[in-house]
Amino acid sequence: MNDTARPTLLPWFIAPAALVAMLLIAALAMLFQYSFREHLPGTLEVGGVTLENFADLGKWLYLRVFFDTLTISAWTALCSLLLGYPLALALVRCRSRSLKAAILIAVIIPMFTGDIVRTYSWLIVLGTRGFINGTLLGLGVIERPFALLFTQTAVIAALVQYSLPVIVVILAAAISHINTDYEKAAESLGAGPLAVLWKVTLPLSMPGILSGTVTIFAWTMSAFATPQLVGGGKVNMVSNMVYHLGFASFNFPFAATLSMVSLLLIMAVLGLLGLCLKRLERKGFTG
Amino acid sequence: MTMADRIAKPAFIALVAVALAFVTLPSVVVVIVAFGEKSIMMFPPDAWSLRWFERALTYPDFRKGMVNGLYVSAWASLLSVAVGTLAAYAIDRFAFKGRALLEAILLSPLVIPHFTLGVGLLLLASTFGLARGYSVVVLCHLILVVPFVMRSVYVSLKNIDPMLERAAASLGAPPLTVFLRIHLPLLAPGLAGGWLFAFILSFNEFTATLFVTNNTTQTLPVAMYNYVREYADPTMAALSALLILATALFLIIANRFLGLDRILSIESHR
Amino acid sequence: MSESAAAPVNDIALSIEKVVRTFGTARAVDNVSLEVRRGEFVTLLGPSGCGKTTLLNLIAGFLTPESGEIFVDGAPISGLSAFERNIGVVFQNYALFPHMSVAENVAFGLKMRKVTRPEIARRVQEALEMVRLPQMGERRPRQLSGGQQQRIALARALVIRPQLILLDEPFSAIDKNLRAEMQVELKTIQRQVGITTIFITHDQSEALSMSDRIAVMAQGQVQQFSEPIDLYRRPANSFVASFIGEINRLACTRRIEGDRAVLECGPVQVKVPTAQAPAGAATESMLYLRPEALRAVPAGSAEANLGTGQVQAQVYQGTHVDLIVQADNGWLLRLREPGFAALDRWPVGARLAIHADLAEACVY
Repeated sequence: MNDTARPTLLPWFIAPAALVAMLLIAALAMLFQYSFREHLPGTLEVGGVTLENFADLGKWLYLRVFFDTLTISAWTALCSLLLGYPLALALVRCRSRSLKAAILIAVIIPMFTGDIVRTYSWLIVLGTRGFINGTLLGLGVIERPFALLFTQTAVIAALVQYSLPVIVVILAAAISHINTDYEKAAESLGAGPLAVLWKVTLPLSMPGILSGTVTIFAWTMSAFATPQLVGGGKVNMVSNMVYHLGFASFNFPFAATLSMVSLLLIMAVLGLLGLCLKRLERKGFTG
Repeated sequence: MTMADRIAKPAFIALVAVALAFVTLPSVVVVIVAFGEKSIMMFPPDAWSLRWFERALTYPDFRKGMVNGLYVSAWASLLSVAVGTLAAYAIDRFAFKGRALLEAILLSPLVIPHFTLGVGLLLLASTFGLARGYSVVVLCHLILVVPFVMRSVYVSLKNIDPMLERAAASLGAPPLTVFLRIHLPLLAPGLAGGWLFAFILSFNEFTATLFVTNNTTQTLPVAMYNYVREYADPTMAALSALLILATALFLIIANRFLGLDRILSIESHR
Repeated sequence: MSESAAAPVNDIALSIEKVVRTFGTARAVDNVSLEVRRGEFVTLLGPSGCGKTTLLNLIAGFLTPESGEIFVDGAPISGLSAFERNIGVVFQNYALFPHMSVAENVAFGLKMRKVTRPEIARRVQEALEMVRLPQMGERRPRQLSGGQQQRIALARALVIRPQLILLDEPFSAIDKNLRAEMQVELKTIQRQVGITTIFITHDQSEALSMSDRIAVMAQGQVQQFSEPIDLYRRPANSFVASFIGEINRLACTRRIEGDRAVLECGPVQVKVPTAQAPAGAATESMLYLRPEALRAVPAGSAEANLGTGQVQAQVYQGTHVDLIVQADNGWLLRLREPGFAALDRWPVGARLAIHADLAEACVY
């Protein structure tokens, strides 16, 4: 940056962005405002200012939805890490360029096909006449199809596939920044491949593991399409409740309250991640 | 080497294979089911047909959704490139009051749940009587994709030698000329990538879009969602198969010409 | 400096007056004043972080001074942005525009000055010929070697006919063999064009060989501003003495006897003219002597004037041999003997006496 380049252009550069930012803030402000308004059943109008929406959060039904959301997010984050780490390691350490490209493309296709296509695929995999039931019936392993859809496990499986591209990219970036000399040094000192992985590679990729897992956790908390379709109304996350409240009951004030609360929860989770990463960095992990 | 070490490598390869299967299996299954004959979707199909592809391409809601989607995504991606590029450039190059705040707000859609934003915009739009027109959808997508454009501009700016700006200034170029004649041409490939990424994200966006569209403005993902809730035939599978193949093709080409591993910065350190 | 004070005012191309620039609490440029004559080649020399690059950025207009003023041809310039000044800059990494051809790079400054097209074409070709690359106009910068890019950068900076030209470590990215050649070429072009040049380097041999005058900088201040030979033989203070070349730094006590300073360490006693040992220096002083000002002589020789000692190590360096000598009074000395005869004559462990050419001594 030049001291003397007087930025007379500055307003032209930032004015459009400032408008976009103001729009975003206005939308969030509207949400905030609605979350304190009274719901008038049967109309789209809202009543006076009230704290009742926040009191309603304590009801078992809504606590349950938050609890389920957190449970699903936690399982998704954990499973994504367990499946994603080997993939990321293979991606970074793979010697063949074409194999590497193949793994990369296979992993990130779901990132680019969009929520609906991705989720719909799981309906076909898990449906009564879908891939799993069809295959097992065909092989004569089972006589009647399993009810796989509309379960928490099904939702988690679909969400894990949804999350893998993201966590693999985060983990692969972290692993690729590890200097392979550390691994060679450990080998020269007599460590076998497992010991190298356990004592060197894994600990050095800790910042990536942490931020990848937490990012997926926070990300899954805002999942909508997957629980909506694969959960089929039987498995509800906060997003589904918000949609239902809005478009089935027209209770936008409470929908706004739930949206606000989940935004705050996500901010809290990510804030905590920031603190942890800072601490890791101070301990000598480069993130 | 211990026994465990000896089985470590095959075990690792097996684990990678399982993970890869898990990621790719649903896409493969969809493609197979799309060729089924029966009007109920089933695996494996007992007879084969292309008729669902025909229906997918002629179904009015999908065609309308496709047109709407292209319209919305074209506007949203172009606007986001303009807005995001200018903002990222100013934030990177100039010191001004509120710089950190502006950046934080513009990047925040990366962490704000899309349904939260969808509800907020819906409430905002209905308050101002704009309820659910195209402009609301475009603005919604604009907010959602600007962060991605800004990121790609940051990455491109990082690869531009900061001394070029000084060299141009020493030769008599005022700031606007530096931007137009030095930085913009050098940013162009990054901007093209950012635009493409913004377009794809916008075209596929579902959650926020569901809240801010209605029957006439619905985009392709929303039309597909509505279809899944009403019908169980393989039309959706056929459309999904087309989208998956298009995406795969696009990624293969992008990898050939740009090197995805470089873009995602996951080259191994050797 | 006495030399510059003698020069007529209209002969001053660049005048820096009491310029201060801080970064946070660090004073990067601390009250610097300099005057550079028209056509002069002046080098800013110093270790990294000494403030030389900040000073260059202040002259070019990439930074503004907090106080003080810079004059170019007598006119103050701190109110002008970099692009409003008329100063050529050659950057360390060349900073050629990668998306333009060589000719477009050279033409850029002329276009900014709204020079007519035919005139641009003529002057670009002239500039390319000056740097002996007349055929390279259509190439892209990355198709050129480092040395060629360097020359194009020079052509681009000179073609706008700037009032002065600034070169920021221009040879640091060029390999050693080519560097000497480029130094000669730069010097030739500079003399030919007659342009006032400010050259920045941390390489003292480069500075000594190219400059009319050198400003040695440390901690944001100019330590000494003089011709290369004075810098080497008459360093203004202990920093300059240690920074330029190799030097023996010998602890001693000092007292004044008439017009001579008497320096003592153990049995060794040396007398130098007070001109070489400025008054006000502490009683505990340092005697500075270059290795080539010291010579080994047989013990007991009448020439010996810096005591006796024993050879501790020999360092063979092709054109000369350095003897590391442990003196009996505790000093550790480096003596420079030309050729290689000293290898046999003064083996490790040999006793010798030391002769110093005291005309080359400095005391601080």
